[in-house]
Amino acid sequence: MSMPSNILKLLNGLVIILSVALCSMLLLLRLPGMELLGIGPNWLLIWVVSWSIKRTVWQGLLAGVTLGLIHDGMTAVYPSHILSLVLVGVLTASLRRQLYIQEDFISVALIVFFMVVVAETALAIQYSLMYVRPLREIWQDYQRIAIASATLSSLWAPALYYPLNQWWTNLRKLEK
Amino acid sequence: MGHWWIKHGLSTTLICIAISAAWFLEQTGVAPLTEIYYFLVSPFLSKQQLILEDKLTNARILELEQRIAELEQQNQQLQKFLDYSQNQQQPIINAPIIGRSADRWWQQVTLGKGKNDGIEQGFIVTGIGGLVGRVIQVTPHTSRVLLISDANSRVGAVVSRSRHLGFIQGGSYQTVVMRFFTKVADVRPGDTIATSHLSRLYPSGFPLGKVKSVNVNSGEALEAEIELTAPLNLLEWVLVHPFTPKLEPTSETLLPLN
Repeated sequence: MSMPSNILKLLNGLVIILSVALCSMLLLLRLPGMELLGIGPNWLLIWVVSWSIKRTVWQGLLAGVTLGLIHDGMTAVYPSHILSLVLVGVLTASLRRQLYIQEDFISVALIVFFMVVVAETALAIQYSLMYVRPLREIWQDYQRIAIASATLSSLWAPALYYPLNQWWTNLRKLEK
Repeated sequence: MGHWWIKHGLSTTLICIAISAAWFLEQTGVAPLTEIYYFLVSPFLSKQQLILEDKLTNARILELEQRIAELEQQNQQLQKFLDYSQNQQQPIINAPIIGRSADRWWQQVTLGKGKNDGIEQGFIVTGIGGLVGRVIQVTPHTSRVLLISDANSRVGAVVSRSRHLGFIQGGSYQTVVMRFFTKVADVRPGDTIATSHLSRLYPSGFPLGKVKSVNVNSGEALEAEIELTAPLNLLEWVLVHPFTPKLEPTSETLLPLN
């Protein structure tokens, strides 16, 4: 292995760690334009989609587990985000393989939109299995959260997807 | 094995490191991240707000302190008769809200003060208007508060006028549901609700809100919709009161929260 390739790998690691840290911190922040009905974009989900879109199912799964653990640390252990983010990682990676989706912002935004719905459904199902609230209330919350979060996340997705994807594409070229 | 290791050793190690790092973050309640977040956000906290808020809260505190002093004196005199010993009062801590919930299913806020300022887990948080929530996690500079409007939060409550008992459970941001322990209770729209002496995680007597409507035909127990008096999503500064819960939250009293 030559020196530059090692440095690139190190840089890539740094980019990954910093972007994940940034996404987790953005979750706490509410800026004007980043909020709808008191709900912000799901940055960690956007990160998982950006990561998995050109990677294998296994890599998507591992990203889901890792970021799910971090997200759980920010809220509570149950209902867990691991299940929802693993679903997102795996589905995004397999979507890419099967449909040969074009690489543009609109399709990324669309993928994020549907992935948020999938993730929120997984959370809502876990929530209703806890039997602490009437199902009717959970269903109302689910509708409100899923629509607002999906809309905002898909609008903000390119802001994260573009720089990360650009970096990883250039990295692949350089490594070749 | 050797061949496999040469090919996949590095990536396997990296995966292990990534997962264990994430696990560590999860176990610590992402304390390192919230600490970094605090140092990034704190320069942007507007001091203007702080000064104004300080003036307002100080004025209010002064007023209340005077009233408390007055009452304390009366109380002391009465207690002298009763030969009562009083606990040491700890100071109230003023803290800014620097972050909101990380997820839409939870209603939590992050405060810009933590262990270094004397905040501990279980302390009670109030804002202008009444009770806000309780501290569920602390790092050196930040602390996380579970709001009373969170669906996982339950607070023992009492109707101030008629002393009927029940508990409130969160739902949406500004309105919560109070469920009474009895089928019939003397409660009317406009009644004020405070924390009850049966509450184990909150001290009694903190104002919560006002009754908005009473729902009579809802199955077993009587339900009332309560409008919280503290504007939870508008608050920027809160007060943290030292409090030791009478009971650590267990699965019986509270749902798993780290």
